[in-house]
Amino acid sequence: MSEIMSENNMKFLYAGIAIALLISVLAPFIASQDPDGLESASYDVIDEVKMAAMEEMDPVFESPVPDYAIEGHGKTGEVVAIVSGTLMMLVIAFVIGKLVKK
Amino acid sequence: MHIPDSFMPLSQAMIYWVIALPFIFMSVKWARKELDDTKVPILAALAAGIFAIQALNIPIGMGTSGHMIGAALVAIIFGSPFAGVLVLTLVLLVQGFVFADGGITVMGANILNMGVISGFLGYYTFVALRKSKLSITISAFIGAWLGLFVSALACAVEMYIAGTFPLAAGLTAMGLYHLIIGFVGEGLITAIVITAIQKSRPDLLDNSFLSAESGGVTA
Repeated sequence: MSEIMSENNMKFLYAGIAIALLISVLAPFIASQDPDGLESASYDVIDEVKMAAMEEMDPVFESPVPDYAIEGHGKTGEVVAIVSGTLMMLVIAFVIGKLVKK
Repeated sequence: MHIPDSFMPLSQAMIYWVIALPFIFMSVKWARKELDDTKVPILAALAAGIFAIQALNIPIGMGTSGHMIGAALVAIIFGSPFAGVLVLTLVLLVQGFVFADGGITVMGANILNMGVISGFLGYYTFVALRKSKLSITISAFIGAWLGLFVSALACAVEMYIAGTFPLAAGLTAMGLYHLIIGFVGEGLITAIVITAIQKSRPDLLDNSFLSAESGGVTA
């Protein structure tokens, strides 16, 4: 019983990976470029001077791949960034899960 | 809804960490108690899927877009809102540190909004609607939608306390955009995924219905 469940859960994992990778590859091409809800709201309610000052603040931490883009590599760079992030997430969640499980 | 560091003073950002940390701690405790070898692949698949879907911004009109959060979905599948907190914490860590999506000092606030508020509200609304005999699809849709909508209002209040947004205009703008994002991005996708799982793997959802906490409502 437990073996069948375990096997079915591995199938769920493979299906999940396939769907996640498909979305990761398509996202740079089909995702909306419009600002998200919080960003859009901030353009609505914060005056331009204050907004410009906030946008120019130095980041607290220098991320290696800001905004899911690799400079000079356009859409290919974005696909590589998002696919890498998805695979990274898979490994991290798997390892953390194995470490903390009962 | 990822708050950047520049939107909140450090002192306030720390307060949200203090509020979020017990939930993160309890989510690890949940994993120690409930997660076994057979369930780790489900957790990993959901974490990867949610990271990917958060890169997929859906246009909602008014020059605005939005994406799914996914805490309610994870919570419904595992039958505990702490599962949603755990997955969203991991996703926000990777997004913040690797991709500069959401701030580092304000990560506690982002975990509180997206992991705790949207997950808890989404999950318990789902459970309450199931108890009142609504279909699993409708319950998942309304729960996920409400969780996202209220977390956006919480975010607007935090932005007001931070001195970044005015209260009424902030609540109106955040409420309006996320009311729609919640329908399309959160409610619809959560309902579709939960319905697909119910059809293909009903056993996975056992915890969502049979735990004493949910009143032992059966599918």
